[in-house]
Amino acid sequence: MKRGKGMKFVGDSRVTADKQKFIPKDYSEYPGRTEAFWPNYLLKEWLVGAVFLVGFLCLTIAHPAPLEKMADPTDTSYLPLPDWYFLFLYQLLKYKFASAQFFVLGAIVIPGLAFGALFLAPFLDKGKERRPHKRPIATGLMLLSFAAVFWLTYEAAAHVDWEEKAENNKPELPEDQPSVEIDESAPGYALYEENSCINCHGGDLTGGGAAPGLIGIDLDVEEIKDIAVNGVGSMPADQFQGTDEELQELAEFIVSVNEEASEEE
Amino acid sequence: MLQKIYDWIDDRVDITPLWRDIADHEVPEHVNPAHHFSAFVYCFGGLTFFVTVIQILSGMFLTMYYVPDIENAWRSVYYLQTEVAHGQIVRGMHHWGASVVIVMLFLHTLRVFFQGAYKKPRELNWMVGVLLFFVMLALGLTGYLLPWDNKAYFATVVTLEIAEGVPFIGEMAKTLLNGDPSIVGAQTLARFFAIHVFFLPAALFVLMAIHFIMIRKQGISGPL
Amino acid sequence: MSEKKQQVSRRQFLNYSLTGVGGFMAASMLAPMVRFAIDPVLQATGGEDMHAVVDVSEITEEPQRFDWTVEQVDAWYTSDVTHSAWVYKDEHDEIVALSPTCKHLGCAVNWAGNPDYPDQFFCPCHDGRYYKNGLNVPDTPPNAALDLFEYEVKDGTLYLGNVKENPVQEGGA
Repeated sequence: MKRGKGMKFVGDSRVTADKQKFIPKDYSEYPGRTEAFWPNYLLKEWLVGAVFLVGFLCLTIAHPAPLEKMADPTDTSYLPLPDWYFLFLYQLLKYKFASAQFFVLGAIVIPGLAFGALFLAPFLDKGKERRPHKRPIATGLMLLSFAAVFWLTYEAAAHVDWEEKAENNKPELPEDQPSVEIDESAPGYALYEENSCINCHGGDLTGGGAAPGLIGIDLDVEEIKDIAVNGVGSMPADQFQGTDEELQELAEFIVSVNEEASEEE
Repeated sequence: MLQKIYDWIDDRVDITPLWRDIADHEVPEHVNPAHHFSAFVYCFGGLTFFVTVIQILSGMFLTMYYVPDIENAWRSVYYLQTEVAHGQIVRGMHHWGASVVIVMLFLHTLRVFFQGAYKKPRELNWMVGVLLFFVMLALGLTGYLLPWDNKAYFATVVTLEIAEGVPFIGEMAKTLLNGDPSIVGAQTLARFFAIHVFFLPAALFVLMAIHFIMIRKQGISGPL
Repeated sequence: MSEKKQQVSRRQFLNYSLTGVGGFMAASMLAPMVRFAIDPVLQATGGEDMHAVVDVSEITEEPQRFDWTVEQVDAWYTSDVTHSAWVYKDEHDEIVALSPTCKHLGCAVNWAGNPDYPDQFFCPCHDGRYYKNGLNVPDTPPNAALDLFEYEVKDGTLYLGNVKENPVQEGGA
């Protein structure tokens, strides 16, 4: 903040009142082959960014984000694997020198040393020289750790059958009630519809406000036929208007749906 | 009209110098891919930032549907992915962005390392950068628990076991992360959500601000 | 480049390109996200099904409250929600099913809920009152008539659907 005699401020603030009109720096003011950040250089950066974004969006559209089954702590067959960028650590802990009594070594000391060294790199590599081949120790260690991380990741990933793993873990909406695929093209269903059973017991046989559902009932064909003709509880008699064959067909259809439902459970 | 609004604000708070400083600063020749094709290695830092922006935006939008609750987390993710228009893409951006940002961060780190750009006077910026790397890894770690699918659950169990293995403070650290000494469940998910959505992004913003201010102050490292 | 007065300077041209590229990036990034966020607004509010409520024979000239349960699917959360209606037969033997939701601030109204007005609906929250046909009593807080349910009668059972505006006008009571 410049302050001094003769300076004017906006009100009682510290904003200077006498500002010159802003004129962007002329290009001739940029020395050598340097250039202005805005708009020259930023345009190049954004062009790279736009190409990158298009590629990235193509990736997201071509490969939908995976979602596995809802977490099930009792699933003992599941092979837990972290995201790929933690696979190297996961693999490291498989080795003898990094597990069991050496667990602390593998899980804490080795990664701790590696990341600690990375964090403190400016103080471990203090020489003035910047070119990689002039500081062989730093370069060598980095190449070595890079190779190690790469190899560990490869080792961890190579033995996993990713496709089978994805196949076994497809997301499924967990169902609270036994749901049955009802074959709406069955002749029994047509009768169910024709004889207005559908109005009270619903299109999926799960019932409604005025009538109970028909799935999970413990009735045989004869009992259902009797109810359809004579009614039960608040259900009036003579709901069924068809022939005896049709009545048999309808009752068998309802029984078959119930059998399916009990199988599913 | 816009010019008048700008002038009115500028008259009061003098914002021109703030952005002019950024807009007019000289970009040296050696980072400019128009002069040296190999200068594309300088893009990795910018691309990391770009993906971070994508992550922040897509994350903000995802929380419009996501709930951090073990009964409903998976269902809400399944719902937003299957029922909501473009849910697949938005979640895809966040999911793949998490991987891409690690890749970009990795390339950026390697660029800085092999160019020795962390040397005096840029030691502090290097350290802030490594901290940013850790924050990003932690974001990935806490993020993949959130959908509460099998992978999330079991990978988190393993992570917590590792935390427990730390000498002396292990048990405490595990309980702190887990919310319960033994159950990986409702409290774990709520905690990981809070860490993923509030604590780590806050740290990320502060560190990024420091990182960028230092770059502006010190300028980019010279050519080799 | 010619020396015309209207010529676009190099800086202007770059600025335009920059805005264009920036706009492209912002748009392609935000388009899916915004569509994602506004999805509930664009979701078709599909006509609700009719639900069986009660046997027609139970409906009298006196409004009675009937409840029915609907399976409500709220995105990933499915629950059973109970709705209710005040149902009666008017003088033309037409069924009238009124929503119990007060048009003032959404409390539930009761038939003859206030002993002083035995033939009106009464809302206990702010003493709102409605005539039997649902019209709000002037000078009480509500400013509209109780909503009406769409209904149909099939095989002696009353089915109720969505609520709609009550067409009764003042003076109809």
